[in-house]
Amino acid sequence: MSSNKLTRATQEPAWVRYTLLTVGLGFLFFFLGLPLVAVFVEALAQGLPIYLEALKESETRSAIWLTIVIALAVLPFNILFGVAAAWAIAKFEFKGKSLLITLIDLPFAVSPVVAGLIFILMFGSQGYFGEWLAAKDVKIIFAVPGMILATLFITFPFIARELIPLMQSQGKDEEEAAISLGASGWQMFWRVTLPNIKWGLLYGVILSNARAMGEFGAVSVVSGHIRGETNTLPLHVEILYNEYNAIGAFAAASVLALLALVTLVAKTIVEWRMKAETDMLNAELPGEKT
Amino acid sequence: MSIEIRNISKRFGNFVALDNINLDIPTGELVALLGPSGCGKTTLLRIIAGMETADQGEILFSGAEANHLHARERNVGFVFQHYALFRHMTVFENVAFGLRVKPRKERPSDAEIKRRVMELLGLVQLDWLADRYPSQLSGGQRQRIALARALAVEPKVLLLDEPFGALDTKVRKELRRWLRRLHDDMHISSVFVTHDQEEALEVADRVVVMNHGKIEQIGSPDEVYSSPASPFVYQFLGNVNVFHSRVQGGYAEVECREKPERATAFVRPHDIDITHSIAEGSLEATVQHVHPIGPVVRIELLHGREIVEVELSRERHEALQLAVGQGVWFRPRQLRFFGADNQPSAASEKQAFLF
Repeated sequence: MSSNKLTRATQEPAWVRYTLLTVGLGFLFFFLGLPLVAVFVEALAQGLPIYLEALKESETRSAIWLTIVIALAVLPFNILFGVAAAWAIAKFEFKGKSLLITLIDLPFAVSPVVAGLIFILMFGSQGYFGEWLAAKDVKIIFAVPGMILATLFITFPFIARELIPLMQSQGKDEEEAAISLGASGWQMFWRVTLPNIKWGLLYGVILSNARAMGEFGAVSVVSGHIRGETNTLPLHVEILYNEYNAIGAFAAASVLALLALVTLVAKTIVEWRMKAETDMLNAELPGEKT
Repeated sequence: MSIEIRNISKRFGNFVALDNINLDIPTGELVALLGPSGCGKTTLLRIIAGMETADQGEILFSGAEANHLHARERNVGFVFQHYALFRHMTVFENVAFGLRVKPRKERPSDAEIKRRVMELLGLVQLDWLADRYPSQLSGGQRQRIALARALAVEPKVLLLDEPFGALDTKVRKELRRWLRRLHDDMHISSVFVTHDQEEALEVADRVVVMNHGKIEQIGSPDEVYSSPASPFVYQFLGNVNVFHSRVQGGYAEVECREKPERATAFVRPHDIDITHSIAEGSLEATVQHVHPIGPVVRIELLHGREIVEVELSRERHEALQLAVGQGVWFRPRQLRFFGADNQPSAASEKQAFLF
């Protein structure tokens, strides 16, 4: 009762509330809802069989496959780097710590196209390591390894960014307790640290994975657009669209949109679990009873 | 296991945390490291545990050099101020942790682990909480579980960092009595860090008073209380009697008849007597405030421009019937002098006060 009265006392007039609501929802509808629906409508414009036919096309299938391969290849490196960096930043004091934190944010600040060009500059035929690589007959640029490198560059901040505040808030008491009880470094990590950060880690993995599958700019620069070989889904969508193959382009785009929806659902579930667990583990102290 | 600390120093940047510390902790003793925050007591404890490395000096365990030993090899039990229980493990698993991480050859069987853990939980009287998570326990219960966890690996030394600092007064009192009993039963050496004088004096066999990275005094609780070695110790331990007061002890500039040099005298508030008539060596003052606090009555006297704090028993206060504004005489029963160099000087029996 009293809370109702309180709300009314602090509430804006009805017309303000409804205007704000309309603006917000309208924005969401025009910029997110409508495009999402449009993708599926366009993809299915000539019926389900044509849609499925477009997806079965070998170049589209190889683009889907390559997207998954790159995302999976990038994942272990991202986890390794993210956990190691977050660990170092959250649990130790060292010189150059703030520089490291700034560097981790670099991929957010730099345009993906520039990121792609960096790798051309390093590993391309005119690049620093170009001749040496050519002599060894290793292809990085205009091949899958280059695309993996570019994706790695773009996605590595996600996990570290997610874990740093989490690990900082948890402190290092539990780790010290584990060591003083005789645990080795590995035992401490597997039994104490990892269980404490698992939901945060999973959240970071989902975010970086979504980015890895959707990356266009950096990958576009290093891929060389060789059909059926170095085309990921986002690149393939562009090629098909430029060829006025609307059904094919929107069909491929619909797969990306579906992946995005799956990511969203997974992200929401993890967020929910993370919150439930944090609430449970950091619950208020009950009254003293001895 | 005895611990010897030899010439330990530690700096953090420009801050000197420990300055050439020497301390012996004999086997079986319960030692309190007492001092204000920032005095280096926790750093010293962490160096003994191997969680921090000293810039110079040595630690010896049972006479053998222990500097090179990793924290996990030192066989010390460490209890943290904020418990540091593993939040995703049950109480049982928390206590079992030290046994489960032992190398395969030394690891007890599951049945043995269960037996030992339940025994320890019985010891801390919390066996009925085995399946709970730390978040479901009260602060006092958490700290007892942390103790059981530290004891599970049968440490030779128990180190406690402000173990009762985060608990409320009633639970704190109960737990420290219980810690004392536990220490006596386990026959191990224990070192605990505290900033609470009452806690140190009540629980410890020996008290090490620290300030600014140095040891001010080492002694039994009675020694450090009744014959403080420095003005700092005097004032820091005086808190016991003027617990909620900022003024610690009557503080006065004194000139002794025999020695004309200036010295500072310290008088505990309960070492001052008040009378209605003049007596030898007594001084005149006016009663400013009368506060009855529990078993004692605290009186503020105004002598010249100085405020003098006095603590009387209730009986004495009843007999005197003091009223605010009344003129009285007071006389210190016991004084301690510190010269300009902060060294205690011999107390002379008769002296004139020049407040």
